Amino acid sequence: MLISSATADDAGVYQVSPDLALVQTVDFFTPVVDDPYDFGRIAAANALSDVYAMGGTPKMAMNIVAYPMAKLGALVLRSILAGGADKLREAGAVLLGGHSIEDDELKFGMAVTGFVHPAKIWANQGLKPGDQLILTKSLGTGIINTAIKGGLAKPETVKSLTEQMAELNKNAAEVLRDFPISACTDVTGFGLIGHLCEMIADTGRRVTLDSGAVPILPEAREFAAMGLVPAGAHNNRKFRENMVSLASGFDPVVRDILYDPQTSGGLLFGCAEQIAPALRRRLADCGVLAAVIGQVESEGAVGLFVR
Amino acid sequence: MKEIDTRGLACPAPVLLVKETLDREQPDTLLVRVDNEAARENVSRFLASRGFTPQSDGAGADIVITTAAGRNVEQSHEESGSAEPRERANNRKIMVLIGSETIGAGDNELGAKLMTAFIKTLKEMGGELWRLVFINGGVKLVATGSPVLADLLAYQQRGLMILACGTCLNHYGLMAEKQCGQTTNMLDIVTAMQLADKVITFG
Repeated sequence: MLISSATADDAGVYQVSPDLALVQTVDFFTPVVDDPYDFGRIAAANALSDVYAMGGTPKMAMNIVAYPMAKLGALVLRSILAGGADKLREAGAVLLGGHSIEDDELKFGMAVTGFVHPAKIWANQGLKPGDQLILTKSLGTGIINTAIKGGLAKPETVKSLTEQMAELNKNAAEVLRDFPISACTDVTGFGLIGHLCEMIADTGRRVTLDSGAVPILPEAREFAAMGLVPAGAHNNRKFRENMVSLASGFDPVVRDILYDPQTSGGLLFGCAEQIAPALRRRLADCGVLAAVIGQVESEGAVGLFVR
Repeated sequence: MKEIDTRGLACPAPVLLVKETLDREQPDTLLVRVDNEAARENVSRFLASRGFTPQSDGAGADIVITTAAGRNVEQSHEESGSAEPRERANNRKIMVLIGSETIGAGDNELGAKLMTAFIKTLKEMGGELWRLVFINGGVKLVATGSPVLADLLAYQQRGLMILACGTCLNHYGLMAEKQCGQTTNMLDIVTAMQLADKVITFG
């Protein structure tokens, strides 16, 4: 066993031979959008993401389904499964089977297995002084999902949110394999700040996060200003507050976005400043967002500083 | 005062419950009970975004949020899903202050005609017209015998707030003759001037 839940990494890794390790992860949740096919795509992209965040290649998956058959009928379920299957195909992974149970509340997700070379695993921790921090998707999915529940999000906002959440981290991960990155994770339930804190917890590192450079989905700021912030964002803040220093007078609306739990969020990684331009160019060529959102400092007090 | 109890609900449910109540009943003042800090912050933010001035008291599981001065932005929210044009959709608030029953100096008969035409044409401002305030001789326009009474009553019917200076009504002995609008005082007028995006003084 190379990596377990002890280090709060994205997936477990088990070494099979000197040049092969298995990456194992599982994720499932209740619907985040109304369209069943889109929900299937998003749930699959979200489950696959942990394998990419470890540097692995997804190889096989099992569906996990909790479903109210009497209430929703077979057609909705077929659409969800079709969305999931399409994403697996795009990832180059095969569906081995799955398990379903009858439940009052719909839930869907996957257990995914990937391969990785034991020497090429991307751990959460390993950031070095001088590294730049790069994020590959915009923030705000939790806040916009909250607005969708309240019937406040415009159709075009739902569309851009759906497309971002259904986008695999595959292209981003494939580019990163050609570069010596120092640490990588994907931004999910703990929010950007929560995952950044995981990357530097107990490492003695000091990181500056430049909130003005963080990409944010359309309308997320407006909804956060209306108080449409999920409970998870507040829980994330309570959990990590003691590691984080906000600039004085920091806008609480932006703060909540930085703590907002993300569904199928982007990769967050560190790399040396010298290679950052070439790496970002390659990501842009593949249609992947690559925002430099902060850096690892070489001196100063330990912790996360947000300005 | 409308009371909403959101205790026992996790975010964003308290905000959504308050939103539903606002959309359904459009209360002027609210009292919202919440039982955690996150809900306090979210509900306060939401009320502020809807034009209220929220204040909260208490701590822990017993927090009460009240809206003190009522709302100062009426129904400006775009996303309510309604197809009909919203009142004052672009949110600018225009206050018109009328200080006389006539407009301009020269001939009072002409001035009275101009004022009648002015009041009738004011509707062209649409939803941006926010307050119509009458002072000094202007208060005669809200009293019995006014040539524009029917127009003013129609404006009032559509939700425009019409105010008439109480001191002035007393001065002209017209308090009992007032046919539309609410009696107001100088503090009200000054506050309205401060809240308005534009004040037009005429007459």
